[in-house]
Amino acid sequence: MIEVNHISKDFVSPKKYPGLSGAIKGLFSNEKIVKTAVDDISFTIGKGEIVGYIGSNGAGKSTTIKIMTGILNPTKGTCRVAGIDPSRKRRENAQNIGVVFGQRTQLWWDLPLSESFTILKEIYNVSDETYKEQMEFLNRVLELQEFFDRPVRTLSLGQRMRADLGAALLHNPKVLYLDEPTIGLDLVVKDNIREAIKEINEKYQTTVILTTHDIGDIEELCSRIIIIDEGKKIYDGSLVDLKDTYGTKRKVTMEIRQPHKIKELHLAESLGISDAECITEYDKENNTLCVTFDKHKIQVPQILSAVMEVLEIKDVQIQETELAQIVKEIYNHGTVEE
Amino acid sequence: MNTCKRYLRLYRVLITQFLKTIMQSKVDFLMGLFGFFFAQIMGIAFLYLVFEQIPTLQGWTLDQLIFIYGFAQIPRGIDHLFTDNIWLVAWRIVINGDFDRYMLRPMNIFFQVIAEKLQPDALGELLVGTILVVRSLAKGIVITDPLHFVLFFVSIFAGALIYTSIKLFFASLAFWIKSSGPFLQLAYEMADFAKYPTEIYAKGIRFLITWVVPFAFVAYLPASFFLKSDTSAVIIGIECGIAVIFWCIAYVVFDRGTHVYESAGN
Amino acid sequence: MVKSLKIYLPFASNELKRMMAYKGAFYLFILISLFKSFISYYLWMAVYGSSDKGVLGGLSQSEMVVYVFMVYVTSAVMVPLSDWVSDDVIKGTVAMNLIKPIDYRLSLIFRAMGNMIYSFLTPGILIWVGVEIYKVTVLGLAPVTVGRIILYLISCMMSFLIYVLFDFCFGMIAFFTTYIFGLLMVQGALLSFLTGQLIPISFFPGAVQNIFEFLPFSSIIYTPVMIYLGKYSGRMLGFALLRQAVWVVILYVLGSLIWKKVTKRLVVLGG
Repeated sequence: MIEVNHISKDFVSPKKYPGLSGAIKGLFSNEKIVKTAVDDISFTIGKGEIVGYIGSNGAGKSTTIKIMTGILNPTKGTCRVAGIDPSRKRRENAQNIGVVFGQRTQLWWDLPLSESFTILKEIYNVSDETYKEQMEFLNRVLELQEFFDRPVRTLSLGQRMRADLGAALLHNPKVLYLDEPTIGLDLVVKDNIREAIKEINEKYQTTVILTTHDIGDIEELCSRIIIIDEGKKIYDGSLVDLKDTYGTKRKVTMEIRQPHKIKELHLAESLGISDAECITEYDKENNTLCVTFDKHKIQVPQILSAVMEVLEIKDVQIQETELAQIVKEIYNHGTVEE
Repeated sequence: MNTCKRYLRLYRVLITQFLKTIMQSKVDFLMGLFGFFFAQIMGIAFLYLVFEQIPTLQGWTLDQLIFIYGFAQIPRGIDHLFTDNIWLVAWRIVINGDFDRYMLRPMNIFFQVIAEKLQPDALGELLVGTILVVRSLAKGIVITDPLHFVLFFVSIFAGALIYTSIKLFFASLAFWIKSSGPFLQLAYEMADFAKYPTEIYAKGIRFLITWVVPFAFVAYLPASFFLKSDTSAVIIGIECGIAVIFWCIAYVVFDRGTHVYESAGN
Repeated sequence: MVKSLKIYLPFASNELKRMMAYKGAFYLFILISLFKSFISYYLWMAVYGSSDKGVLGGLSQSEMVVYVFMVYVTSAVMVPLSDWVSDDVIKGTVAMNLIKPIDYRLSLIFRAMGNMIYSFLTPGILIWVGVEIYKVTVLGLAPVTVGRIILYLISCMMSFLIYVLFDFCFGMIAFFTTYIFGLLMVQGALLSFLTGQLIPISFFPGAVQNIFEFLPFSSIIYTPVMIYLGKYSGRMLGFALLRQAVWVVILYVLGSLIWKKVTKRLVVLGG
């Protein structure tokens, strides 16, 4: 459905200087700064896939999406969406895709939502029949009818997001791009939106690409993730694989009884591993001891018994490393260690 | 043909929706209208004061100058009414990334830009223009044979297209320089030169407003055709030629521009 | 005094910085602003050429040249203060300003000062020097005297205050309607007449002239330029300056009253 071949995008901007003297200097200077936002990225996405496209701020996510949607032309490389080059045949491509940018709406701000849909029906040349059918489906999945007659500016963020999603789907696109679709939403609304996306994907086999900072979106929706950093692709594969290769760290938190005895505990030594493989942190306020370790090297019971030799434990909590943590670490390192 | 029909339909739908939103603020509408109307009236008052001192200005009478002034308002008003959104492309829409939405829809982009908005303030200009032209007709200073009658409308249309082309050309620079508002304003305000007979200016300025930013062809030159029987109809032909050439240049630049558009956030 | 200067001076210097940051636009706006003067100049040349009298509205052709361009130089005092008020109202910064221990109007006036200084330096002073050179070399007139320059600058300072104090009152309309664009056009068109920007007030019929000279607006452009041209002397000069001073006081008081009313309303409405 989507083929991206070695695309790069450079942005050129004039150099700026700080302060009053800088402003004067800027008047006469013509220095340019070239920034490579996307650096030689390739991937292929099949029909019906839901792919999470993640990266820190300024990593080049939005730029890639904008290239695929036809907003930007790549500096180098080619891109095909449903067989069409978006930069050459923008209009044909536009007919095939639906786009939701979480930060800005595509709807007519001052008009009732219903009017926006009427306009979109004309713009995308949707027949009366299809329109009726599609609206029925969207109404069921996104529950648009409760605010269908209200001006868009009066909608809550969650309602607006549902409306925007509906608007992007009216013409039943082959590919749906979602840029931060759940940003700023509360948990219940997030869940609704995710359910809706799943249902649409199942019914129409719509290919979905979503960028997000919300790891929940990815865990709920995506079977595959692509991670980019500083414009380069650093990971492309399934969520399970990523967790397996990187998510080997575990954390156990113990509430303890005799805080004064904490000094007598030399955990790494008694387990026969190095300090780096078993990080111990003590929290005075809550009276808890937190141990982070590699699950392939050592097991929870071993740790517990080693600790209980020295002091008494009131309560224990074991945490699997969260995806958020993994992603954060990948950003820090810049690559996925094999 | 089908595409044409579809676009007309779309235009109707989009503009109807736009009108609904501005009807919510009738006071603003009336104030804008009044503002433009008033500014034009002041321009006429100025001419009256000047002509208190002199019988004719380099052979032109007050009534003739008022016709030129009024005639110039009509193409200006038409362009202003229909394509005012081009200003926002120059100042805002490109630099803040709102242009994205035009890129995402399966329609011609220029069409989307102008179908988004009507500028009712322009009715102030059209009103003044019409009143002054009617006044000139009543005074009998305008030639009214069938040829002049037909060419009057041709000239107004071509004039409006020249305005639109100049605006579109300078607004399109925004794709390269982010905000081209100041350039557009520079070009647009040159139209003021063409309110008076161009003979009063130095050669350089005359050349500039005739051939580079050809506002003389919107106002003074065609107006003189309708006032003086010894002016050849060729002037209207040249006006149309200029309109077509400038439109093509502007549209090509705009189209190139949409390909180098960089969106926002970088 | 020193302390309040410390508080308010940044408003002026920030405005200067903001204006300079325009870069390319910087030169273009100067060019645009000069258009009207050049149209005026050529039109008046044609008018004097079409007239058999040497003096129109009390001004000779050479004086008219000086008038047209000194109007441009003096127009530096007309800063877009009501635009700023309108912006602040829309963004809601006015309400925030009420909380801060600063006088909103004073902060605007200082900002206006930064703006005026900038327009006066670029290109005002260049045009001014240009006018003098043109006057001496081409028109063969005597250069302006130092005394007259000082009187002109004093008059300009007052015209600046008259303008900003007036425009502050005008900007208060922004609290009642968000669309002041139409009104700004009316204001601009009216002021270009009433201040003598478009045409010297001496071109108006006698009765109208008297009314216009009584209004505060003629004090903004017409008075300082006429002083520069040496059209006022002795008691007339004193009277012109006194009239300016009186208007400064009146508009100051008027602005304070309106501001009180508006802020009361603001507090009541919670704007």
